[in-house]
Amino acid sequence: MVKDRFGFTMQILACTFIAYMLISLFYLYFVVGGAWNLVGRALLDSRVLGALTISVSSAFIVGGLAIAAAIPVAYLLAYKDFRGRGMLETLLIDLPQTFPPVTEGLVYLLMFGRFGLAYTFTAVILAKFYVSAPFTVSFATRRFREIKATGLDVIARSLGAKTRHIMGKVLLPLSARDLLAGFSLTWARAMGELAATLVFAGAIPWKTEIIPSLVYLTAETAPEVAMAASVIAETLSIIALVSFRWITRVRA
Amino acid sequence: MDNKGKSMKEIRIESVTKHYGTIKALDHVNLGVNPAEFMVVMGPSGCGKTTLLLVVLGALSPDEGHIIINGKVIDDLPLEERGIGYVPQDFGLFPHLNVYENVAFGLKVRNQGEDETHKIVNELLVMVDLQGLEDRKPQELSGGQKQRVALARALATNPSVLLLDEPLSNVDEATKAEVRVNLKKIVKRTKITTLCVTHNPEDAFNLGDRIAIMQSGKIIQCDSPINLLKNPKNEGVKRLIAPMYTLYKLEGAYVQS
Repeated sequence: MVKDRFGFTMQILACTFIAYMLISLFYLYFVVGGAWNLVGRALLDSRVLGALTISVSSAFIVGGLAIAAAIPVAYLLAYKDFRGRGMLETLLIDLPQTFPPVTEGLVYLLMFGRFGLAYTFTAVILAKFYVSAPFTVSFATRRFREIKATGLDVIARSLGAKTRHIMGKVLLPLSARDLLAGFSLTWARAMGELAATLVFAGAIPWKTEIIPSLVYLTAETAPEVAMAASVIAETLSIIALVSFRWITRVRA
Repeated sequence: MDNKGKSMKEIRIESVTKHYGTIKALDHVNLGVNPAEFMVVMGPSGCGKTTLLLVVLGALSPDEGHIIINGKVIDDLPLEERGIGYVPQDFGLFPHLNVYENVAFGLKVRNQGEDETHKIVNELLVMVDLQGLEDRKPQELSGGQKQRVALARALATNPSVLLLDEPLSNVDEATKAEVRVNLKKIVKRTKITTLCVTHNPEDAFNLGDRIAIMQSGKIIQCDSPINLLKNPKNEGVKRLIAPMYTLYKLEGAYVQS
């Protein structure tokens, strides 16, 4: 006899949700397990390898650019007091993560198309950067604020440190882990981005075709290729998130 | 580090006013600290004493008034060029640097040579009795040890004056008396002009050459500890120094009997 019926119902609902999410996550591996030889062959397909190369290399470049952008932006947001700072933060961090990527792709097509940037590797990077960089900016801003609250920058200045010393000797060493954590999320998001890249960069094999566009384009015509590409994408994203968990746990 | 031949500096705070919104944190504060003097500003929390310290440091700019060090108005000097030693309440040690690197921080950013840095840091570590702990991280130190690292770090760049914010509030009760004696000894040995703020009467009376009693953003009385006890200006002052005042009255009665 269950005494706390409401609590018990809550647990059942929670377990249902958890089971649904976990099955969705691992379903692909079960399916692929049944047709491993087909998928195995597709993995060696030149088009799949091309998409993997473009996806991974562009995601690393986007992650690096995100760190380069996050440091000055986070410093501005954390240390400078100005009107509209909250609004700017929403525009820089929250909006890009909810903005429809397909629209963003169109905007870039109109904005940069005339400079011959459409359908190039650079277009892949620009398209991914907009939606993925905010993770790193957000992590860096939060950490810089935490450090500011400790007053360490005031102490450093009282010892004669200029802004460049504070950045190099205080802020960056103390936020290295957060930048790395932001990098791993940015990288994972960049790996998963589809719509903006498809619209702005197209899907030219070995040039702008990434894993998600390959999956999209082959899902009906060559499902084993789509599955192979998906397994790779999913595995890499799991690795990225496990790294993220590890990086943040080590800090705690 | 006995302030090698460096002339001792005086601090003058002239009619300094600071508002936070509509709240007047400092209300035309005037205070002079003589060369090599240990001045304690004592008052209840929220009386404006930390604001006063941050204004002198340059972390806050006053709405009115001037900060003058050794005759030179420093209102427009940025924090990093004031050359003021500062020990915050939580000691503010850099958590990613060890004891040696913390003390050497100010010398490194001034591009002091490696040998000279080494010499100065070692001298200071001996002075604050921390030799042998160079490689410890701040998390591995006691409150009293942290305070001495912060003090050594502040003194390393040979500052003109020293500011201490509640220097004993993060030190264990058990070791507090000893830490206090050491603090005073170190400061007196360097002959550095010191402005210290605290809410604790016991600390104020044990550390200060003079004590400025502050309330609601104003200095109400500034005098030597003994004169404060003999002639507290009013009931407010008497109340603020109550523990010491009671002790003084008791001891006085004891001596008379």
